[in-house]
Amino acid sequence: MPTFKLDGKPIPFDAGETIIKAAWKQGVDIPHYCWHPGLSAPANCRMCLVEIAPKPGARPVTLDVLEWDAKAGTYRTTQKPKLQPSCYTAAAEGMEVLSDSSEHVRKARRDVQEFLLLNHPVDCPICDQSGECKLQDYWLEHGRYQKRMRDEPVHKPKGVVFGPTIVYDGERCVMCTRCVRFMAEVAKDPVLDMRERGNLNEIFVAPGRQLDGHYTFMTEHVCPVGALTTKDFRFKARVWFLRTASAVCQGCATGCNAHLDYDPRYNRAYRYRPRDNEKVNQFWMCDEGMLTYKQAHDGRLVQAKVRGEAASMAQAFEEAKSLFAGVPKESVGLVFSAAHSVEDNWMLREVGATVLGSRSFYASGAADGYEDRILIHRDKNSNTAGVKQIAPSAKALQALVEDVGSGRVTHVIALGAAAASATDALRGATVITVAAHQGPLADVSTILLPATSWAEQSGTYVNSKGIKQVSDKALEPLGASRPAWRHLLDLAGALGYEVSTTSLKQIRAQVLGGATVEALAPSPVTAPAE
Amino acid sequence: MSQAVLDKLKERFGTAILETSSSFGDETAVVEPSQWKSVCTFLREDPALDFDMPVDLCAVDYPNRAPRLEVVMHLYSVPLRHRIRLKARVGDEDANGAELDSVTAIWPGMNWLERETWDMSGVRFRGHPDLRRILMYPEFEGHPLQRTYPADRTQPLVAYRTEGEAGMPLGKLEPFGPDEGMPFGRDALPRSEES
Amino acid sequence: MEPVYAELEEGELELPAEPMHLNMGPSHPAMHGTVRIVLDLSGETIVRADVQVGYLHRGFEKMCERGTWAQVFPYVDRLNYVSPMLNNIGYALAVEKLCGLAVPERCQWYRTILGELARLSDHLTCNGAMAMELGAFTPFLWLVKAREMVWDILEEETGARLTHSFGRIGGMANPPSADFKGLCRATLPKILGLVEEGEKMLLKNRIFIDRLENVGRISGADATALGWTGPCLRSTGVAYDVRKAHPYLKYDEVDFDIPVGTKGDTLDRFLVRLGEIRQSIRIINQALERMADDGPISCDDPRFVLPEKDGVYTTIEATIQHFKLIMEGAKVPKGEVYSYTEGGNGELGYYLVSDGTGTPYRVRIRPPCFQITGGLSKLLEGRMLSDIVPTFGALNMIGGECDH
Repeated sequence: MPTFKLDGKPIPFDAGETIIKAAWKQGVDIPHYCWHPGLSAPANCRMCLVEIAPKPGARPVTLDVLEWDAKAGTYRTTQKPKLQPSCYTAAAEGMEVLSDSSEHVRKARRDVQEFLLLNHPVDCPICDQSGECKLQDYWLEHGRYQKRMRDEPVHKPKGVVFGPTIVYDGERCVMCTRCVRFMAEVAKDPVLDMRERGNLNEIFVAPGRQLDGHYTFMTEHVCPVGALTTKDFRFKARVWFLRTASAVCQGCATGCNAHLDYDPRYNRAYRYRPRDNEKVNQFWMCDEGMLTYKQAHDGRLVQAKVRGEAASMAQAFEEAKSLFAGVPKESVGLVFSAAHSVEDNWMLREVGATVLGSRSFYASGAADGYEDRILIHRDKNSNTAGVKQIAPSAKALQALVEDVGSGRVTHVIALGAAAASATDALRGATVITVAAHQGPLADVSTILLPATSWAEQSGTYVNSKGIKQVSDKALEPLGASRPAWRHLLDLAGALGYEVSTTSLKQIRAQVLGGATVEALAPSPVTAPAE
Repeated sequence: MSQAVLDKLKERFGTAILETSSSFGDETAVVEPSQWKSVCTFLREDPALDFDMPVDLCAVDYPNRAPRLEVVMHLYSVPLRHRIRLKARVGDEDANGAELDSVTAIWPGMNWLERETWDMSGVRFRGHPDLRRILMYPEFEGHPLQRTYPADRTQPLVAYRTEGEAGMPLGKLEPFGPDEGMPFGRDALPRSEES
Repeated sequence: MEPVYAELEEGELELPAEPMHLNMGPSHPAMHGTVRIVLDLSGETIVRADVQVGYLHRGFEKMCERGTWAQVFPYVDRLNYVSPMLNNIGYALAVEKLCGLAVPERCQWYRTILGELARLSDHLTCNGAMAMELGAFTPFLWLVKAREMVWDILEEETGARLTHSFGRIGGMANPPSADFKGLCRATLPKILGLVEEGEKMLLKNRIFIDRLENVGRISGADATALGWTGPCLRSTGVAYDVRKAHPYLKYDEVDFDIPVGTKGDTLDRFLVRLGEIRQSIRIINQALERMADDGPISCDDPRFVLPEKDGVYTTIEATIQHFKLIMEGAKVPKGEVYSYTEGGNGELGYYLVSDGTGTPYRVRIRPPCFQITGGLSKLLEGRMLSDIVPTFGALNMIGGECDH
């Protein structure tokens, strides 16, 4: 693999790759604002300037500059090497690039930082980007100067509503055009653009349009400063109080990787941020998916119920024991859930099929919905493929309604409450539902056991391409909820059966044939798909 | 200035000195835990080293590393005015099995420091004359300075101990009774029916 | 045991065979702070003394791992709370060692002066309290009056008599007040006068000398092996003072002596502290001459030192600097360091482990009086009950420091 030298360190690169991209893949950070690994490079922020040593035999390209000579008390002309933007310069074999080790580069970064902050409003106390802002980070690392300008900073429109989800602040904007390029290149809807010139520059929405569509949250995500904020998250939480868990979005079968940010003091999830995964979602997530973090708290079942009345867990299991005593195994039906993890579904199979002996499998899940060619999948369940692997012969829920109607199935153990078709007829059967969210199957249940949502337990989900991904535990279980597989384990215990697999580790060993959880972690990003 | 100490240690103990380093003016040697006592004895008794003052002993918890607990000892030589930092890494990922030999016999001052390290971090010292908790009360559960000990954990309330456990009589001794400390007029107290 | 009023023959009186347990409980006027000594007494002689500390343990080391580097200053204040400035300065020096910062010269003199004032406060308290516990209440009041004068200076400078939280990484919180030098120069002779009066009262008193002389003797070798440092070690004849052996701040540019005892008994410790009071006054006088009247107090490294407040409210750069230092903490480079200074009781050491972030990974405080109190049981064995109070008093165990 060809390599070039960055501060003396050899960096391998692919043909045509830029210096900053190759360095980023190796974990070396060259400061930048406008460059993004998933977008084109406009080289307008000038923060990534590096000094490239001239080819042997070639004359170095220099610029004439004026330098203040303190001893003589006058300006004098000197030369400085012309620095190149590393986001736009392709790497070449044997190239010698100086980044942190060059005095000129350090001075250039300091000066670029000064220009960027020249007219910046003193908004840190009220800006949502505070704590994850590149201006703050780079000032401390590369700037460390105090303000020299004595004039009033330029004022621009603040709090401009761009659309149903995004608010724009012109004064904070550094004109990196990441939002403009994202909408044009990734969302394929070039609705944003820059107007005016010089220090009156601002971003605006095309006349007659709003910033809408399915990917507006990503403009906030790519914005390196607090210029673009989402109406959903602004002023809700300070980021330094939030902890992060690596989660998998439950919105559809794409299974985008996400960071779930939650506040452990209040045990609340506050937002999603996309997590890089070259194979699944590259760097992005859709708006609907970004908002599914709310499902960690909305519409949750947190208490056990017997026949619609709140009950204690012990009462619920007592009732289950009496209702299921002596039931022939042919009358028991199992409903797997495409919205629950592989571990939950596996335990249902273990308890229902292996232990109780049922052979009537059905699968439930949310109905299909909108799809597009970018990220959104029509199947709005995160683990359909996983259920297919666990119970390949599972029939649609409609078949269960028919079987209950004909009397073939009298007792049902259902995982998950989502249903795409009518389920009223199931009231004729004894139904134990283990679910996290309200839904039709929970309404018709005889016994309802509250399960933890995806955010409160570690779970494996298989996406539409067959990739197994693990979503980590973030929150503590709400109310009386517990992981669904634990409910099923206790149900087997209440019915008098012993199941040998009693911990998540053991379930995973069974499901994955001994593979460790680490083997499921998403692969690091290498290059974005075209 | 203490580089000479590190050199002598390496020369004498060879591979039992796992690594040495020098930073910010301090010299550090990481010692194989089984050789802890012999290294300490050597440091005390060799006349060119003469480490007669035990300065400090503590443990640092690195939960992502195995072995997890790092016992750090600082020594000083009053006549020769040089210092050394010794480290030993003990304990598995759950901080079990963290044991070292006690060096109380070499420096009596290590007695309380080893008790404190046991109390706070859970490192046992074999051969210590009296290894019990020093800063915490005897019924305390856990070792607070381990990183996995949550800072907001509450401890169970301790019931009054029996006389056998306390090693002394509980309650007041005769002739002091329940009205001890009350004003002179003992009739000011309500009397029960049976006196 | 028979009731005392019964008629008994001479030979019939039974004396108890086992030692008597006496509990000098944690709540006791002479148990400085809170220390419990469980005594086994045979008559008045102490057979065994089990010194139990930990009643003032507040979990500093754990709490330091949950804030930023600058938030440790209030914690270290409350270690040796009669000389908090020495703790502050010691910790600031430790972090600066790890960061590679050098504070301006004016700050070094300022720290030296404030540190020595704190040392005065510590020794005045120890000697005064020891005298009071032996019954001499008046010298206690005189020495505490002198201590109040020291605290008046510190209150003028820092805003608080005790627990100033005045040290900062890279300097001090505020520059010296306008009349700092004048105030010090006016107060020091008064302090010396009060100390001399107290000395005259005590050192010619037969009872006082008898209660202290040859009580609690320890040899230099034993004290060193126990890890003793400071005035208690110097009373045995071992002339180890961190300020002379490993000078820091401006101690190598001032003249002072180290008072050293001979016998290592309680009287020597009392006298060593009195000598150190005089040496501290000597150091302060020289430092007041040498300290500049203007100049920066904190180094101007934006990675560690807060900006001026008017800049914070008006410019974005100062706001960012303020924000980063307060919310994320000063990012101390990765590594570990053991830094030691002469605290009121001896070598006050800080062993800091940094993982490169703004939160300390481990702050280990090496309290000098922890080691010293560890030797108390050895000093007491074989002595009489009434020797406990002066012996323990002379050790100057400060509960906050011992139990951290």
